[in-house]
Amino acid sequence: MTGLEAIFYHNGFAMAAVGITIVFTALVSLSLIISQLHRALFVWDNRRSYIKKALRLFSEPKPPESEPVVKYFDNIYESARQFNLLIRATGEPFSLPELIRTAETRGIAHAHSTVSHLIAAGLIVGDGRGYFRWNREAYEQLLRQEPK
Amino acid sequence: MEMFLDFFANTGFGLADYRNFIMIGIGIIFIYLGIAKHYEPLLLVPIGFGILLGNIPVFKGLGLSIYEPNSVLHYLYFGVTKGIYPPLVFMGIGAMTDFSTLLARPVLMLLGAAAQTGIFITFLGALALGFAPNEAASIGIIGGADGPTAIFLTAKLAQELIGPIAVAAYSYMALVPVIQPPIMRLLTTRKERLIRMEEPRTVSKREKMIFPIIAVLLCCFIAPAALPLLGLLFLGNLLKEAVVTERLAQAARTSVIDTVTILLGMTVGASTQADVFLTGKSIGIFALGAVSFGIATAAGLIFAKIMNLFLKTRINPLLGAAGVSAVPDSARVVQMVGQAEDPENFLLMHAMAPNISGVIGSAVGAGILWSFMVG
Repeated sequence: MTGLEAIFYHNGFAMAAVGITIVFTALVSLSLIISQLHRALFVWDNRRSYIKKALRLFSEPKPPESEPVVKYFDNIYESARQFNLLIRATGEPFSLPELIRTAETRGIAHAHSTVSHLIAAGLIVGDGRGYFRWNREAYEQLLRQEPK
Repeated sequence: MEMFLDFFANTGFGLADYRNFIMIGIGIIFIYLGIAKHYEPLLLVPIGFGILLGNIPVFKGLGLSIYEPNSVLHYLYFGVTKGIYPPLVFMGIGAMTDFSTLLARPVLMLLGAAAQTGIFITFLGALALGFAPNEAASIGIIGGADGPTAIFLTAKLAQELIGPIAVAAYSYMALVPVIQPPIMRLLTTRKERLIRMEEPRTVSKREKMIFPIIAVLLCCFIAPAALPLLGLLFLGNLLKEAVVTERLAQAARTSVIDTVTILLGMTVGASTQADVFLTGKSIGIFALGAVSFGIATAAGLIFAKIMNLFLKTRINPLLGAAGVSAVPDSARVVQMVGQAEDPENFLLMHAMAPNISGVIGSAVGAGILWSFMVG
């Protein structure tokens, strides 16, 4: 038996097609894997930093430890309003310990740090004799800047 | 006088016929090509000498012929018929081969796969000419241009054809510088032959150590029948790259491969006894082998041109011709043809990548054909 008849009889075309496909599959897979080998080794070498990055993706973001937790910061307008009312009720000049104590008894959260922040913002200013005053001009300017 | 005539009748002169002299002539040509022309001397000289040994007519029954079960040559031939020598040669090749260029540009591996098309097209051609499927598979593998692979597969599928197929495979491997250049010039333009390749990246020692492990696992899981050849090829390479096994690698690439090459070449040569070798089938095998080799070369070149349609950085299509696994001769031919156009274009290093992947591809191809035939 010869010619196409022999090829068909022995299933030659199918064997040739499957054969060359398997050769290509083997070499293409191998080339794909080895083309990524140096990258895989780079990741392995830097695995600690990659693990840290991966863990960070799955954990809640924490603020850096060096910075204080200033939850009131976003709400300085509200803090300023509260202390404006408080100081108007207690009178000026005032001492800082007294102001803080009064604020705590009235239920204002984080009184100490809020007062500290109001001083930094220039809303509470010293009167040069050991007491403090409420800076009304700075307070009104702050309220004008408040986003609507 | 009668005693003298009896003795004469039992000498080589008395037993010889013209075919023995033809084969002895072929053996001498092989030795000449190896020594004077430097065509694969490490193979052609032992094979040529083996042809001389195999074609000295001997008195049957004395245990002298390679085909007599109790002869010394028969025992040495055992390594061929049982497929022992080819994997040992592969181990030596593995211990000599640097896979850096392949690891630096893995895409060139596809050229090694494309060139194996020759194996399967020739398989179809051999079927069409009336060869049995197991014989057709053994003939097709000549297109892989890999002597040990051709011998291994033929030993498994068609032992009676080992002589002609081995001689055809090694002849074409030796004639790579003659067969390939005309095909390369025919299928490429001058502009294409002038393309320069990018400098490959540096490959780390760890990559080279991991590669043989990944390659053997992947290839042998895909084509388990390639295990004897690829298993030892990558073992040899791991011995080389592991550094701590340098002594073993040294043995594999020197004493082991040299010993096996001598035994393989000599016994394959001796198996080409005139009455076995000079047949119509042998002529068919030689003709198909040449076709197979040509198709493999052309397939690699054409595939390289097709790849250039999709690659951002074009490759020199001459590299496709190195996809046949005649290591390192076809890579050298690529360098030679490339430098004929531009003496400052160095392609040898780049051509080694498809060349080595051709070795892997032809071993996978052999494994596939073997499993088809026994399955």
